[in-house]
Amino acid sequence: MRSVKTIALIAGAGFFFLAVFIQGIIPYLFKEIRVQKVTKVVRTSLGTLQELKADPLPYDGVIEKGRRIYIREGCWYCHSMYIRPLQSEVIRWGPLSEFGEYSYDLPHLFGTRRIGPDLTRIGGKYGDDWHIAHFFNPRMIVPDSIMPRFTWFFKKDTNGRYVLNDDGKAILAFIQSRGLSKGKWRDEFPYQTFLQGSSSVQSRLSVENGKMVYLRRCAGCHGEKGDGKGEASNFFAIKPRDFTSGTYKFRSTPSGSLPLDGDLYRTVSAGIRGTAMPAWYVLSEQERWDVINYIKSFYPDFKTTPPEQPIFIPQPPSPTEGMVKKGRRVFEELKCWECHGSEGRGDGEKANTLKDDWDNPIKPTDFTKGIFKSGSRPEDLYRTIMTGLNGTPMPSYIDSIQAMNEDPWALVYYILSLSADKP
Amino acid sequence: MNEGLVNTSIVKGWFRWGFFWAIVAPLIGIILSLKFNFPDFLSNEYLHFGRLRPVHVNGVILGLFSSLFFGLLYYMVPKLTGVRIHREEWSGYAIWIWNLSLVAGSISLLLGYNKGLEVAEFPNPVPAGFILSLLIITYQVLVTISKRKEEKIYVSLWYIIAALVWTGLNLTFGNLILPYAGSGVSNAALHGLFIHYVVGLWVTPAGLSVIYFFLPASARAPLYSHKISLLGFWSLAFFYPFVGIHHYLLSPIPDWTETIAIVTSMMLIIPVWAVVTNFFGTLKGNWSKFQTDVTVKLLIFGAVMYFIGSTQGSFEALRGLQKPTHFTDFVIAHAHATVFGGYIVFVLGACYYVWKKINGDGSYNERLAQWSTWMIMSGITGMVIVLSIQGLVQGTELITGAEFIDSLVTMKPYWLLRTITGITMDIGIALVAINLLRYGKKA
Repeated sequence: MRSVKTIALIAGAGFFFLAVFIQGIIPYLFKEIRVQKVTKVVRTSLGTLQELKADPLPYDGVIEKGRRIYIREGCWYCHSMYIRPLQSEVIRWGPLSEFGEYSYDLPHLFGTRRIGPDLTRIGGKYGDDWHIAHFFNPRMIVPDSIMPRFTWFFKKDTNGRYVLNDDGKAILAFIQSRGLSKGKWRDEFPYQTFLQGSSSVQSRLSVENGKMVYLRRCAGCHGEKGDGKGEASNFFAIKPRDFTSGTYKFRSTPSGSLPLDGDLYRTVSAGIRGTAMPAWYVLSEQERWDVINYIKSFYPDFKTTPPEQPIFIPQPPSPTEGMVKKGRRVFEELKCWECHGSEGRGDGEKANTLKDDWDNPIKPTDFTKGIFKSGSRPEDLYRTIMTGLNGTPMPSYIDSIQAMNEDPWALVYYILSLSADKP
Repeated sequence: MNEGLVNTSIVKGWFRWGFFWAIVAPLIGIILSLKFNFPDFLSNEYLHFGRLRPVHVNGVILGLFSSLFFGLLYYMVPKLTGVRIHREEWSGYAIWIWNLSLVAGSISLLLGYNKGLEVAEFPNPVPAGFILSLLIITYQVLVTISKRKEEKIYVSLWYIIAALVWTGLNLTFGNLILPYAGSGVSNAALHGLFIHYVVGLWVTPAGLSVIYFFLPASARAPLYSHKISLLGFWSLAFFYPFVGIHHYLLSPIPDWTETIAIVTSMMLIIPVWAVVTNFFGTLKGNWSKFQTDVTVKLLIFGAVMYFIGSTQGSFEALRGLQKPTHFTDFVIAHAHATVFGGYIVFVLGACYYVWKKINGDGSYNERLAQWSTWMIMSGITGMVIVLSIQGLVQGTELITGAEFIDSLVTMKPYWLLRTITGITMDIGIALVAINLLRYGKKA
């Protein structure tokens, strides 16, 4: 070759612009590619779930600030932000990424490496408590984690306890907003919803395996002795279960009874939404049974007093407007409002005085948030109403509802309708 | 010897900074690597993984590789054109602006000023320094070449011209347009292009210009085939600009642009194999040099690594292999095999040659040079093998549905091995710098 210009213009500038044009610009000139909508799951005024196309959530206020901190700290070098069309990723992290979800992402945060898990849909996967303890020291909750500690997200409050500072609050808000453009997708995510498990044999081997699982996944919060006093529990507003007490909230058995193995399996698999208890459905079934068998060994009476017969949960009917209205009446008659408030915001007159069996203050659920600890399907609410939550002020209403000859499903759908999305 | 053409103080000025980065940037790599097994090691607000990683990547590409390459550039261009560099007196500015920008940029990353785009992280106005410095160099080089005494332009100069033009465009594009262009998905697509232009349109052509010059020079043999080098150059120039989207495959980026990126990634086998054929052909009947001469040894070893790493990179773009390997250390293996094992090894090998030419005999310790060469070669080979295996292992584990933390636990022993291989090769690089600086002074 004899000419500098040929090389500089054709090879240098020519091919460069050709490629940028074809690969970077042309595709996004088509309207059908530039989708601005996201498939969103919403709750209807009848309490059911519905999918529709909606605008993605913009970044503003504290979430926007959190995004800047996410960039500043280089979180995106280890956490990717798109889910590929692979079954394993969808099960582990949630539904496939959509084009429209990224409408306001500048700069984009796709990421190229997963030293940590993908964060596209992390919002709501763990409660705030979990993240707070995890930012302070990831290895407190996840002993095998290699994430750095982010102690500069904390300050000391007047009692000398570590609480999030403004940066910490912002990054938490950003993390918890990830995936929320898709609304209540988690409520219909098949891998995180369980009706009932079967049961397993509590063999010596299973308990031994369970202990290994327990020490790696559970001990940070529930404590090595199973007393709910793990190191991380100091950061929690809602304290972890004390397995030595034999008191379990989420059961299909009558009030006061021990839970079925299947109840524990459901809680371990689906997690407890809004709290630090994650969903463990990604673990193999055997690991989950093993850890349940180990957890049961903290309370010897599991062997001597079998749980009572579970209640029967029928197939839920389709809701109607009349049913939801009737539910409102049942809500008033059963005095649900004393604790949960007349609009279901968890602000009833007794709300601030409630204590659990361990004398910890406990807040009634705010139904308008649509986060239900034991699951958000109608059957889950039915179960909680009929069996109550042991160890808390929430009693079983099975007798009163039967005495009044009311339809429990009416109450269930009324409660669900309280978290209806605005049209 | 017409050493009179080369202004050695420019070459040495770049080399000194290059040696500085040769010690600093890999050391940061070791610290990062240790954090995988000891996450609390040296971890605080300014030195935790997220802040330190870009300092390593930018330090290696813009510091270690680029400074040494620029030093070599100011040796090659006068030699190939037969005239002195145009406006030599400007070079001092280029050296200091470039390297001080990198120092300032690295410090601002540690302080948290990060633009959020991989390899384009430096906050404004730091990138302006790189662009300005590059403009000076490009101007000097293009004018010098146009004043050349030889009518034909040697292949090294094609690569140099293209690399300078591409990178001038790319730095401008990456810093003036990319942070503000498009939204979400289209921003990612543009960024994918940018990332690959840094390695494909800067490190690759710059590195190839070095081996095209120094392999025939150090082996004292003519280039095997000028026709093959034409094929290598034009296929690289045409295919490379299209491949960038392969950084974000199986994402919401439209499938057909992903497919173009995959096809062109595979087509890159043509320039890679053509170039490597040329190097091995050049050494035909001359292999004794490989045993005795550190420059030839490093250049040929680098060519093998370049061949392995680039071929791996092409196949990695195929969707089938992409599914398990993307997001894992398999990609990191590819990055280290090519950028370090290939291009940085090329420039290190060439440094030995140039240092001896400009400082005379005894400008480095032969025994130490052999040691450093073996440490570099064994270190990077071990690292590429370990990282490739662990990438496949973790990728397969995750694709078959493992819980994420379980896959991390599997990785931990591999990470420890990776650190050991990294330390080995880093000592090797540091030995190059120490050897040349120490003995060069005496000579």
